[in-house]
Amino acid sequence: MAALLPAADKVTFSENIAPIVYDNCVTCHRPGEAAPFPLISYEDVKKRSALIVTVTKSRYMPPWHATHGYGEFADERRLTDQQIATIADWVQQGMPQGDSAKMPKLPQFAEGWHLGKPDLILEMPVGFELPASGPDVFRNFVIPLNLKEDKWVRAVEFRPSARKAAHHALFAYAPAGSMARIDGVDGKPGFGGMGTVGIAPGQGNSGGLGGWAVGGTAEFMPAELAMPLPKGSDFLLQMHFHLTGKPETEKSVVGIYFADKAPERNMTAVGLPSLFGFGAGIDIPPGEKNYTIQDSLTLPVDVKVYGAAAHAHYLAKEIKATATLPDGSIKLLIWIQDWDFNWQEQYTYKQTFVLPKGTRIDAMLRYDNSADNPRNPSNPPKRALFGEESFDEMGGVGLNLITVNKEDEPALQKVLADGAQAAIRRGGADGTAKRYLEHQAARRPAAIAPRSIITLVDRQGKAVRTVGEQGSYSQPALSPDGTRVAVIRNDQGKTHVWVLDLSDGKGTQITSDPAPHTSPVWSPDGKQIAYISNQNEVYRKASDGSGQEELVYKHPAGPAPFITDWSVDGQLCFWSGDAVYALPLEGDRKPVVLFSGAGARGGRFSPDGRYLAFSSNQSGTFATYVMPLKNPAGKPLQVSKDPALGGIFWRGDGKELFFMGLAGLAPNGVLAVDLTLGPELQAGIPRQLFRPTGVNSPAQLSNIASRDGERFVLLAAPPASPR
Amino acid sequence: MRFGYIFVFAGLACAAGKTNVLFFISSDCPISNSYAPEIQHLCGDYGKKGVSCSLVYEDVGIDESSVQKHLKEYGYTGIPIIIDGRRKIATRSRATVTPEAVVIDTKGDIRYRGRIDNFYAALGKPRQQITAHDLRDALDAVLAGKPVPNPETKALGCYIVPPDILGK
Repeated sequence: MAALLPAADKVTFSENIAPIVYDNCVTCHRPGEAAPFPLISYEDVKKRSALIVTVTKSRYMPPWHATHGYGEFADERRLTDQQIATIADWVQQGMPQGDSAKMPKLPQFAEGWHLGKPDLILEMPVGFELPASGPDVFRNFVIPLNLKEDKWVRAVEFRPSARKAAHHALFAYAPAGSMARIDGVDGKPGFGGMGTVGIAPGQGNSGGLGGWAVGGTAEFMPAELAMPLPKGSDFLLQMHFHLTGKPETEKSVVGIYFADKAPERNMTAVGLPSLFGFGAGIDIPPGEKNYTIQDSLTLPVDVKVYGAAAHAHYLAKEIKATATLPDGSIKLLIWIQDWDFNWQEQYTYKQTFVLPKGTRIDAMLRYDNSADNPRNPSNPPKRALFGEESFDEMGGVGLNLITVNKEDEPALQKVLADGAQAAIRRGGADGTAKRYLEHQAARRPAAIAPRSIITLVDRQGKAVRTVGEQGSYSQPALSPDGTRVAVIRNDQGKTHVWVLDLSDGKGTQITSDPAPHTSPVWSPDGKQIAYISNQNEVYRKASDGSGQEELVYKHPAGPAPFITDWSVDGQLCFWSGDAVYALPLEGDRKPVVLFSGAGARGGRFSPDGRYLAFSSNQSGTFATYVMPLKNPAGKPLQVSKDPALGGIFWRGDGKELFFMGLAGLAPNGVLAVDLTLGPELQAGIPRQLFRPTGVNSPAQLSNIASRDGERFVLLAAPPASPR
Repeated sequence: MRFGYIFVFAGLACAAGKTNVLFFISSDCPISNSYAPEIQHLCGDYGKKGVSCSLVYEDVGIDESSVQKHLKEYGYTGIPIIIDGRRKIATRSRATVTPEAVVIDTKGDIRYRGRIDNFYAALGKPRQQITAHDLRDALDAVLAGKPVPNPETKALGCYIVPPDILGK
């Protein structure tokens, strides 16, 4: 070894230092790039020599967070111990310049697009203003794509405009307009938060498109692969900024490179634990320094691995994954020992490798929730649970791989789906699902709905007619005679109950005061509407808008109530918190608890008033239940098999019940189940009628169907229009 | 330690009879720049209490027009500046990093030297929450006539290039 080290008196800038700096530093340390100062000339480097010695010794620079030797990665930004020693020696020796004729050539960097002219160039329509100082900013931007056909993406090249502030970016796609309800509602482009599609579990028809971090350069995927980008999608850009001390404006430009055709194979991201730890029971006590979660997965088929990635929030310290092959040998996949949320990189292996069927992958994440963790977002430390906010935690290792044989794809997908289902069940049982849904509901109030059009569909989900004009609608409810729709309509942030006539689409505004309104429900005779206003007040008013509204009941402060039904015998059904109530409209008007606990919500009376159908997660995941009301000994019967939430409606004869299926945490599909009511309550096997394809599936609050069960009311995405 | 020299080296900076804070900064150091708003807040808050602030530029070879451009870019107004081209003030103050703060009391004694607060736990490792406001604590103590609890802390940022490297 000693012989390889330069003789102590021979370290010069030209021969020894410049090659290290040019290979490892100038990509960023040159004018116009993210790093603060250039490191090109002898003077540049000499001036910063003390800093360079310090930051190379501590390995803060070049920034690289994976442990050397745990996976061999392409573009590893890492100096060898010898290079670090050489720099220190050079400084010790007074930084001689040496023979400038022996200087290496300065690397050439492409001007403009690194990968050549993109097939599609996107630009943020409006710049986002960053303040001079404050905590780090996370912001999601929605850029319309207007794709006319499905595409496959080989690379995304990213060019932020606030180069010194932009730290990393994640790319994803989501159904066009699906973010409209939150995009720009605070008066600035985009929306806040660190969780979005590609990161948050359970958001259908969306996916990740890679990412960028300071110092990274865009690369094409291997030729046989590409990422899907369906038509009808918006491009989502989640950015993380460090504020620089002066105001900056971000107006990113994104270049997308398409493949000519669909790829032969689909890259699969295997995440461990499933859904970023949704079902891992993350519950980190304050002060705990060594909280760990672990998960394992045994590969059902041979896979070829391309890369790895890690994700967690601020409390995570250590993230590690290994593979134990069937022959007992161990392959080290990735190990990050000092996790830094600011560096969420995609790590690409220098060479792909095969993990044979039967290989067990183990992932471990360790969290430090003590005050000694300088990244702890809470001071003093606070209990941390699974969630999307910066003070919540989540995390996992992702492996990007394909099955070696194409026909093995379903077998791998099944194992992953089973893992996700198990995680959802565990997350349901330990309260994670409930907290998650409540958080989502709070973040995306029903008051802000995307633009949609009220649409009537048949039992096959085929549109029969649209009603009225496009608008920001939510919570549609069909009148008992099936001729009108009550709905919440949002105009400039004010939410009112409207009634629209199906025959001509004409609308009548029922409510008038500026308080927020939710959950309109029809009286059995169709003459009145009940609704919530002022968060916790129940009102009723004539459905033609005439007369005055009547305050029926005021629920105690706390979780807001939602009305879900109006029975033939004059009771309203509403739920609040985890309890479903019956509220008699005559007499003392004192609500009675029908069922409480286990995420109870969305109750609906059977047409004869003797049964209640409702949603609850008492089994660990949300399901639909039917319970006899007149028989105190009667127990709730689970009538859904797979996860289901809301959208509950009885056919007029009480023999069929409709409800919404749940995929992940998103509604997917209207289901129907046959019921036999009587002393022996019996349910058949649920069947899917159709999968609604809209921006806003039937709400769990509303009368979704007509009494004969032949017509359903949905809020569908408006026809695509150039934006 | 007596600190009389600074009045000679930079006469305009240190008003006699006042508590002075010198902020050692550089225009191309990201950590130094990220503190620009906090430095302005500090000078506003403590200016009302009779403290005099100065910005001491430690960039190698920076000229007056670049300083003016930098001041404008980061919104600095009304704070006297000194270009410490030969590192005389840094050397006398024993400041080694930008940003670093030095507090000199009315008698000319250095009462505090070090970081502004503990936002950075290490280079590249910002805290989510600041838990120690060392400079404010030092100024409060000096103004109250009390001993400074931590008279010396380690500033994190970019090293001030020592004068012996400048000339070579």
